[in-house]
Amino acid sequence: MLKLAGVNKKLAGFHLQDINLEVKPKEFFVILGPTGSGKTVLLECLAGMYRLDSGRIFFAGKEITHCPPESRQIGFVYQDYALFPHLNVRQNILFGLKCRKMPADQRKEKLIRICGLLGINPLLDRFPGTLSGGEQQRVALARALVMEPQMLLLDEPMSALDPRTRENFQRVLRRMQKDTGILTIHVTHDFEEAAFLADRIAVMHRGRLEQTGTPEEIFKRPASLFAARFTGAPNVFTGEVLRYNGHQVIRTGHLRLPVQTGLTGPVGFVLHPEYLELLRTPLDKSNCFPGRVIAVYQKRYFYEVTVKVDQLMLYMPVAGNNSHRSSLPGAGDEVWCRILPGGLHFFPLEDASINL
Amino acid sequence: MAKRTGFNLLFYSFNLMITLTILCFILFAVVLVLLNGFGHIWNVLQTAEINFALGLSLKTSFISTFLCALAALPMAYCLAGYRLPGRHILNLIIKIPLAMPPIVSGVCLLLVFGTTSLGNILSALGVKLIFTVTGIIVAQFFVNLPYLVVVIKAAIEDVDPRLEFVARTLGCNQFQAFTRVTLPLIKNGLLAGLVITWAKSLGEFGAVLMLAGATRMRTETLPISLYLNLTVGDMDAVMAVAAILIIISIISLFVFELLGKREHSRLTGL
Repeated sequence: MLKLAGVNKKLAGFHLQDINLEVKPKEFFVILGPTGSGKTVLLECLAGMYRLDSGRIFFAGKEITHCPPESRQIGFVYQDYALFPHLNVRQNILFGLKCRKMPADQRKEKLIRICGLLGINPLLDRFPGTLSGGEQQRVALARALVMEPQMLLLDEPMSALDPRTRENFQRVLRRMQKDTGILTIHVTHDFEEAAFLADRIAVMHRGRLEQTGTPEEIFKRPASLFAARFTGAPNVFTGEVLRYNGHQVIRTGHLRLPVQTGLTGPVGFVLHPEYLELLRTPLDKSNCFPGRVIAVYQKRYFYEVTVKVDQLMLYMPVAGNNSHRSSLPGAGDEVWCRILPGGLHFFPLEDASINL
Repeated sequence: MAKRTGFNLLFYSFNLMITLTILCFILFAVVLVLLNGFGHIWNVLQTAEINFALGLSLKTSFISTFLCALAALPMAYCLAGYRLPGRHILNLIIKIPLAMPPIVSGVCLLLVFGTTSLGNILSALGVKLIFTVTGIIVAQFFVNLPYLVVVIKAAIEDVDPRLEFVARTLGCNQFQAFTRVTLPLIKNGLLAGLVITWAKSLGEFGAVLMLAGATRMRTETLPISLYLNLTVGDMDAVMAVAAILIIISIISLFVFELLGKREHSRLTGL
């Protein structure tokens, strides 16, 4: 198990603040955040590139806060792979084993196994400068994995790949991680990638971890406006929780939606699209709101309908089979929106002026 | 490009004219000395004095270049990589001797080794620097070391520091990471720096004159020999020695340019 307790690190123009984190053995853990949020620095702290300003790091029952990188047994793959340009692929992969003075026959055995696993046999005699991004990435991964590290750190390894290679590689990575059971920490700014790979996700923003949870938890119940917006949740709004005619409501624009929440005052909220219903005539007065259809976009398996209700632009999917085609509203239609119970999720607003 | 006219043509011609004039002058001056000296090289090499000077120059320059390399590598690595407090000031200190005339460096060395207790202790230990061959080596060392440090430091700064870090995650200690990653990557820069350092040691005059003096057949390196022969009016020897020094400089320059082409320049983006 990996545990970070109160980790702080200040670098030029950047501050990693009070990072507390526990990662379970065999877990695929993804740190999600925008460029400049401190994801790479956090990985580098884990691998021992920097001395921490404060805080402690524990791994597999030992404190490693002051261990040099070479004794941590952590594999590291950088975004641009950082292969040794003066060595060919074979020498790159064998680099660590030679440092460790492993006998030649054992080295060869490991090389064959890892090359088979990642399909890099044809590349062995080539130099990094002649490899494509995907090839470099596999070599960098092989170089880290051949050491059989206790933990694997991946710094946006997908960002330089074309979409198809990326999708393939995500599958390979996920399967390999499950097969080997190696604790993996993967950094990305792409929620889809995070959701596909991760057992759990931590959302990082301005050097802090804002929320930790399973992909579903993060997506369905974001803990902050930043987490909600960055994970691409649709229908994220702000409002104010207050009492109105003896009921708890949230006021946003001219709308007052009846709610039940422990929060009061300014809050953020998500209106989950799958809990929104589009109606021609109103049903239940308290939860039904008039609106106007702004646009209808055809997606692969459904239609995305944008409805303006008061000041809110609501996105909702509408099933797209042919029988419904005629009943689809068109732009400009007057409609009613019904919010089904459980469709609202609230979170406190830590900083009302936040913007992305 | 469109045809240059009017003021643009004037501006273009002016720049080109100045450039070509000066380059022609340099070429003319160098060729003049080579033409005058070349015929005498073989003859003066037969004389005991020039023979001695060439031998002494080669010996001292090789030793001082070797010592420079020993000191410059750790210094360059330290100044390039370590996050030392006040490292801007440290970087300035190493450049002070670069900005000084070598003859002033010689005066500094003469004072340090001649008048301070450091000099007394060294001479008590049998290390005599003033008016000796050891002094020549020391003078060449101190004048050229900062130059080599700056060259190697620039080469090290060209290497992505994350490469060493990755090497360490793969089990290397700091020394192994340096010798297996950074050193091979700066190899060309290092060799180019050594060649120029050697050529500069060979031609060092001011500092050597101050610390080791100009004693015929004792501390007589090639540049000192040139100076001594000039004072007695032996122009054949002067031209020959000058020609030898020019040839060595030009060869060094070629080697430097050749090595300067970065071996891994095709790997841009790494």
